[in-house]
Amino acid sequence: MTALTLPRRGLARLRPARVPLAWRNLVADKWRLARASAGIAFAVLLMLVQLGFEQSFFTASLAAVEQLNGDLVVQNASKYRFGTRNPFAPKDFETIKTVAGIATAAPLYADWVDFFWTSPVDNKPHLVRVFAVDPDAPAVFSIPGIADQQTRLKTDDSVLIDSESRRFLGMNRNVTEAKLNGVSVHVAGKFSLGPDFMSDGTVVMSDRTFAYFFRTTPAAMPIEAAVIRLQPNQNAAEVQKRLTAALPGTLKVFTKAELVQFESNFQAKLSSAAPIFWLGALVGFVVGTLISYQIMYTELSDRMPQYATLKGIGYENGYLAGSVLRQSLLTGIAGYVPAWLLCLAVYRVVGHIALLPLHMTWRVTLLSLALTLGMCLLAGMIALRRVIAADPAEIF
Amino acid sequence: MSLPVPPPTPAIRIDGLDFAYGQGPARYKVLFDVALDIPPGQLAVLTGPSGSGKTTLLTLIGGLRSLQKGRIEVLGRDLSGLSARELVPVRRDIGFIFQMHNLFDSLTASENVRMALELGSGSRDENRHAAHEMLKELGLGNRVGAKPRMLSGGQRQRVAIARALANRPRLILADEPTAALDKESTRKVVTLFKRMTVETGAAVLMVTHDHRIIELADRLIHMVDGRIASDVMLDNESRLGEFLKSVEPFSALNLADLTRIAETATLRHFEPGEVIIRAGDAGDELFLISEGEVEVMRDDHEVARLGPAEFFGEVSVISGEPRNATVIATEPVDAYVVEKDELDAAMQHSTRFRQQLRRFFNRRR
Repeated sequence: MTALTLPRRGLARLRPARVPLAWRNLVADKWRLARASAGIAFAVLLMLVQLGFEQSFFTASLAAVEQLNGDLVVQNASKYRFGTRNPFAPKDFETIKTVAGIATAAPLYADWVDFFWTSPVDNKPHLVRVFAVDPDAPAVFSIPGIADQQTRLKTDDSVLIDSESRRFLGMNRNVTEAKLNGVSVHVAGKFSLGPDFMSDGTVVMSDRTFAYFFRTTPAAMPIEAAVIRLQPNQNAAEVQKRLTAALPGTLKVFTKAELVQFESNFQAKLSSAAPIFWLGALVGFVVGTLISYQIMYTELSDRMPQYATLKGIGYENGYLAGSVLRQSLLTGIAGYVPAWLLCLAVYRVVGHIALLPLHMTWRVTLLSLALTLGMCLLAGMIALRRVIAADPAEIF
Repeated sequence: MSLPVPPPTPAIRIDGLDFAYGQGPARYKVLFDVALDIPPGQLAVLTGPSGSGKTTLLTLIGGLRSLQKGRIEVLGRDLSGLSARELVPVRRDIGFIFQMHNLFDSLTASENVRMALELGSGSRDENRHAAHEMLKELGLGNRVGAKPRMLSGGQRQRVAIARALANRPRLILADEPTAALDKESTRKVVTLFKRMTVETGAAVLMVTHDHRIIELADRLIHMVDGRIASDVMLDNESRLGEFLKSVEPFSALNLADLTRIAETATLRHFEPGEVIIRAGDAGDELFLISEGEVEVMRDDHEVARLGPAEFFGEVSVISGEPRNATVIATEPVDAYVVEKDELDAAMQHSTRFRQQLRRFFNRRR
């Protein structure tokens, strides 16, 4: 007996205590639900794509910085972003190496504006990003393909190329000989980093080869950044303080995390990219609000006498408002779920074509869900005025 | 000596009620100094031409509009001065039956009824049970899970009536509740109204022109141009008197004769298949059908079917000959029985009545 009654009581608790009016109204007409769901899904997809682009823009912009293989990074204090040429003198690098607590310091040379890669695809020169490292120093990047192949760069005129670069550069092809600024280089290997919104492709070379292009020697080459690893059990903040004291005020010492933050601040606050994507998402939000309002307006118009009757028999406006908003939110979810699933495919296809790191993340999921529910709530509240204004005396 | 029992609180008490629509020059008055008391347990019918203010009066009593001038007490609660918001809880004690059923097409019959029950404090299972009971009483016991789309117009209206009555309200306000109903449904609904007035002491105020309801009403209120033109308590005699006025030869009688016939007539009930009169028997009674249908047989052939407001048996009463036909109830029949003496007296008093009754006599002989 007990064994039979217990699960029944458990099931009873799952059933709603009241008539689930919002849910019943939502699913009453399958075709109407399908239309509503499709309309909302369209707007959600618009927002998801924009938010995805925004996120991939950040991911791509931060990819190189995030792969820096060190605890502290020193660069010129006047740099407003990582991807701009503003190097410091080699003698300051020598100073860095003398500070207590440092295990290794590796120089990173970089250039974003001077190197043109002649593409085997169209045989035309294209601007590329170049990183140069000391092949004998500890690896500056933890990017697979660079760290383990940098000794191959010891041969002069050898380069590593990014197989994830934009396709028109032809770096994904099977190339061994290529031209950089008209000079023949040997492709010693490949790595995978991917383009960002500024550079289409990346070439890595040794400090000697890099210096050759500038008609100088590695020892005289100004350095873009020093990537520092600490001795075991060293406090990063302590070493950071000592470094700052030892170096001239024109240089700034970042922890790795600070540098990533510095870079993402630039992308978010100073560059024009973030507002563009947010504007795109806003357009999705507005379109979604209009669609959602249209859905709820029709819905409420069709059921006006019923809602007025509920008021007539003693229901408060609060109950009706709750039911309408609940239905609006449920409509939002009915549109969100298919849009989210469809977006996985869109990300995959677009990410593959545009070489963007488009991935569904919790951030994008929760942000778009919040926006979806927000737009449905807003639309529901505007549409609600009709129900509040309904006069129960009219139905007698 | 026992203490005098205080009169029960009226379900509705209205005094000096005026109401106007619109403002300024567009303002027009629809109710003028209306006063009305309806005690618990009374089934009152409100009639009147359209535009006479019936519906406005109903919406004011139901707390669907705010009062302007005058006083309304509903179930002991004074509605004057209440805002639209304060009127909301008042409505919960009232059962409303609207002209349009206004059911949610997304909800089943049972769920539509439960929407009203959920305004009360019952648990889910209690509400479900109450909804099913009420639907069963209205002949919808096997349709509780049906959506309105799958129900006929009459069935939908019965669901709406179940929604209004499920809370067992102490006041029921209805506007043409039986307009969409067939005969059988109407009988069920009217019986239920009547039973609720008796069992739970509910007062019913109903706008209707359905004579099947008027026959059962305790009171007939007639409105003309925003005023109460007549307000008649209907006991059995006066109800029969009203009924007789609508039947052709009797309508020729004066009030005194009508009243005497009404006072002496008795209401008799017959089950389906029951023989009311048999050919060849002696007969000195006239039967006037109030409800139901009979068939008239001559030589084992059906010669006629008679329904409400039709009569039979006058041939033997006038001629003194035996019954020339057999009359059998085909459904439950209520009929008023008028004795020969009363009929003779009425024929002596009114030439027109005699002539008209003779015409029926000659036709049927």
